Amino acid sequence: MKQQHIFASILAALLLLSSCTKEVVIDIPGYEEQLVIDGQIETGQPPFVMLSKSKEVYAPTDLNAFLNGFITGATVTVSDGTTTVQLDEICSNNLPPGTEEMAAAMFGISVADLSNYNICAYSTFNTAIWGQVGKTYTLTVDYEGKTYTAETSILAPTTFDSVYWKPETDTPDHGFSWVTLTDPANQYDAYKWEIKRINTTANGSTVDESFTPTFSPVFDDEFFDGLTFDFGYENPHAVGPNVPEEYRFLYPEGDTVVIKLSKMDRNVYEYMEKKYTQLATAGNPFATPTNIPNNISGGALGVWAGYSPSFDTLACYE
Amino acid sequence: MYRLITCAFALISFFSFSQQNCTLSGYITNASDGETIIDAKVFIPSISKGVLTNTYGFYSLTVPCGTYQVEFRIGGMETETREIVLDGDVQFDFEAGSNVQEVDEVVVNGEASDNTKSTKIGQIELDIEEIKKLPAFLGEVDVVKTIQLLPGVSSASEGGQGFYVRGGGPDQNLVLLDEAVVYNAAHLFGFFSVFNSDAVKSVNLIKGGMPANFGGRMSSVLEVNMNEGNYKRLSVKGGLGVISSRVTVEGPLKKDKGSFMVSGRRTYIDVIMKAAISDTSPFAGSSYYFYDLNLKMNYKLGKKDRIYLSGYYGKDEFVFNDPSGDFNATMPWGNGIAALRWNHLFSNKLFMNVTGTFTDYLFSFGSEQDEFRFKLKSGIRDLGGKVDFTYFPNPRHKIKFGTHYTFHTFTPTSVSASQEDVVFDTGLAQQLKSHETAAYILDEFDLNEQWRFNVGLRYSTFSHVGPFTRYVKGDISTPDSTIEYQKGDLIKFYQGLEPRLSMRYMLPDNSSIKAGYSYNYQYVHLTSLSAVSLPTDIWFPTTNIAKPQIGWQGSIGYFKNLKENRYETSVEVYYKDMRNLIEYKEGALPSDNVNDNTDNLLTFGRGWSYGAEFFVKKALGKLTGWVGYTWSKTERVFEDLNNGEPFAAKYDRRHDLSIVASYELNDRWTFSSSFIYATGNTLTLPTSWYIQGQDLLFNYGQRNSTRMSPYHRLDISAIWYSKAYKEQEDPTTGETIKVKKRFKSNWAFSVYNVYNRANPYFLYVDNDGDFLQGDFEISVKQVTLFPIIPSVTWNFEF
Repeated sequence: MKQQHIFASILAALLLLSSCTKEVVIDIPGYEEQLVIDGQIETGQPPFVMLSKSKEVYAPTDLNAFLNGFITGATVTVSDGTTTVQLDEICSNNLPPGTEEMAAAMFGISVADLSNYNICAYSTFNTAIWGQVGKTYTLTVDYEGKTYTAETSILAPTTFDSVYWKPETDTPDHGFSWVTLTDPANQYDAYKWEIKRINTTANGSTVDESFTPTFSPVFDDEFFDGLTFDFGYENPHAVGPNVPEEYRFLYPEGDTVVIKLSKMDRNVYEYMEKKYTQLATAGNPFATPTNIPNNISGGALGVWAGYSPSFDTLACYE
Repeated sequence: MYRLITCAFALISFFSFSQQNCTLSGYITNASDGETIIDAKVFIPSISKGVLTNTYGFYSLTVPCGTYQVEFRIGGMETETREIVLDGDVQFDFEAGSNVQEVDEVVVNGEASDNTKSTKIGQIELDIEEIKKLPAFLGEVDVVKTIQLLPGVSSASEGGQGFYVRGGGPDQNLVLLDEAVVYNAAHLFGFFSVFNSDAVKSVNLIKGGMPANFGGRMSSVLEVNMNEGNYKRLSVKGGLGVISSRVTVEGPLKKDKGSFMVSGRRTYIDVIMKAAISDTSPFAGSSYYFYDLNLKMNYKLGKKDRIYLSGYYGKDEFVFNDPSGDFNATMPWGNGIAALRWNHLFSNKLFMNVTGTFTDYLFSFGSEQDEFRFKLKSGIRDLGGKVDFTYFPNPRHKIKFGTHYTFHTFTPTSVSASQEDVVFDTGLAQQLKSHETAAYILDEFDLNEQWRFNVGLRYSTFSHVGPFTRYVKGDISTPDSTIEYQKGDLIKFYQGLEPRLSMRYMLPDNSSIKAGYSYNYQYVHLTSLSAVSLPTDIWFPTTNIAKPQIGWQGSIGYFKNLKENRYETSVEVYYKDMRNLIEYKEGALPSDNVNDNTDNLLTFGRGWSYGAEFFVKKALGKLTGWVGYTWSKTERVFEDLNNGEPFAAKYDRRHDLSIVASYELNDRWTFSSSFIYATGNTLTLPTSWYIQGQDLLFNYGQRNSTRMSPYHRLDISAIWYSKAYKEQEDPTTGETIKVKKRFKSNWAFSVYNVYNRANPYFLYVDNDGDFLQGDFEISVKQVTLFPIIPSVTWNFEF
């Protein structure tokens, strides 16, 4: 028994000590400031482009640095092959009506907060260049004497066969969101899954103002080309210390959720797939560093993404 | 080719029969246990002619007939001399140490070192008994860790088994256990080697000037031979350690005719963990263990024939269970190896060895999460045959020739996945089959007293054959397609000639200059995703996309022995060029390996390495050990990586120093220490970050442009031996005499990382907090694996 204790303590010591982690400052050579393009165009929506610059690893990370990082003064145009439109510079405290929700979603702040910040982006009221299924859009950014271009397509959307909510065995009033999907056969399809809860709150507004991507929100049909099958997705809002462990990732009975399933082209999917891989593996020594490819020529980082969404509303009742 | 060989033989035979010659041949064995002795020297001082025994303890020396005083020089024993009358061909089997009195203490004055005289360049033999004296990590004596202390050899990472020889990758080392190839020589993510030190007889490392009888790998050969077993009596040895124990039983099958050896080892980390960890701990339900088993048998079928059967089986299993039961995973992997060999003497000048080998390496990973099940398998199976001849026409020539054949079956990954009733289409289990063949001839000969050459030529071929499905990846406009090959279809054929040369020029004052050149084809590749060597690294053969690795190496060195061979010193410089090296394309993940071929994810490039190695060794006396220092530079260039610019290999080490010392205080205590200093490994860290879609993303810069801080570590050990002799009264004379004890034991105490250096294992960039909350932070973190670790092992033998 005594010997066992010795072994146990040696092993405990080993486990405790063996993964000792400390912060170090080492030289990481090769930093180069690059333009970051974060642009998207969606069916029925105006193109929306935000420009910023990449920062050094040891650079300050305060909020001001982020807010002051958005670039104005660039020339941004979008073309569908026949119509070419130069986008206007718009700022969060002076947005064209109707773009608040999308702007808030892209800026990552609430609609109410928009006027408190001065984050600038590029968009247009000219509906001739708003997203249409079947079109390919070319983005051109001219900034500081350099030209960056990118291309993306809005593909035909895929709709769900059905959506439903199913409680888990242990939690009869909480469950995942489920769908039945028929993937179009013999073609490449890639999807992004986002949700918005639209239950009304006490003050009459909806719980969520904008769509939120779920965890690992992108997938392609490599494994299920042409199949009809059911799959579930978690509730990305049911996280954090305030949610009891057994309810994490689940929707409570009574929630009403809009599910947005967006199709994208292969280049956008590859960007998104690598992006979410990097978010999942950054720092993991057992994975190669994931450099995110991009569909922009000219040496900028980021993506120019075309989305073709279909929507369905899920009422969380059995 | 055949005509050339015949001519060469005719020529050599002509010279050898130009005078009346007699051949002295036989086996050299150890008198105490009957084991054959490798590299023992048979030497006739009056005519300055000698020869070394081969791997099977056989020697053959053809000299003018006459009566000679013949010396038998064996490392660690006193030189013994026998008068032998050579009036014809004589077979003389010699039992070394047979005239040593039981009561005599063994005098280790040893045999004069031969390292200045042989053509062996970049070749080091290690004495297993010496290795056992050195500090051992967690008390587990490890031959691979010891070779990592030699100049030109470096370890992959803390505790790692992967070793890099002169800038070559870990897949470029031919690791042989009793002539069978070992693909993964590591246990526990590489912290222990598969070689159980109690079962090992000899360790030989060739890092340059590879002779033509070896091939298939570009950088080095690590030849490990297992003990044959005691021919004289049944004996047992073993050890009890902190995390593992081992036991070996050996004995005669029939006295002096045949013997066997069985050795087993198992770790009990899992048992300790079970006892030490409470059910609520996050580690509860998780465990790890490995075990291995070595077996060897041999039998002499008369004077001319002998058969050997060797086997190894080892398995690692890692189990992870999320205590909440939501997720569990098992990860078993292991090697199975078997070799059957037949030695035959056609004459006292022609020795033949026929080997049949079987190697099986399997790695698998299974996980279950809710209703989703996933299983991944990867492995290699080799079936091989070799016929090797050694011909000793006269003392000036030693000729080796032979042919090798291997049938490989690679399973890079086979994946199955299912959720409830839906089985996902993960593609067919891919297997790649291939034939690898080789034929070689080499002649080691003395031109005169100064010049000695080892000239060889190897011809190798590789055929990738069906059945096989080639996936051709389309782009947006063209869909993916497949090409089907049927069983037996030849998909791709490669061949190549591999010239080899090493030579020695003897200088006065017991010094020499040696040079070596080797050209190698390598038909297998190890694809590694991570900076750390893991069982998840996948072996992959040459295909029509992945070409064979081709390399050449040139080296030259100056060797000098000082103070009557007490000190061996050498300086060697080398240049190595490697083509068709492989790396994963940027951002590749193993999961991409489905409905796809692994080689579609690979990219190909070139590498080179050059360096200088300094070595001083004291082999004799109470204080023994060595100092090795290497200066080197290793780079890679890949069209698709790093914008096509050269980058440092991940194990590029500018400086690598090791100091090893062992001091025998008396017959009870031996103290040892080893110190290592090495330039830090390179890695790729993000150079910048940016925000897209509210997510913080990293942009990685030049590949391997960041260097970790240097690695250095001191280990010490002390071994306390029980009394080897007991005093008792001689019943006839009444005198007190010393009698050797049958039961011997020792306690080995060792301390790893004495000054608790926090050596970097890997670095990563960590980000914490929320941008909009203003508490966001990015920092670089360093992970260290092993702090100071003391251990104790009790070893016994009877």
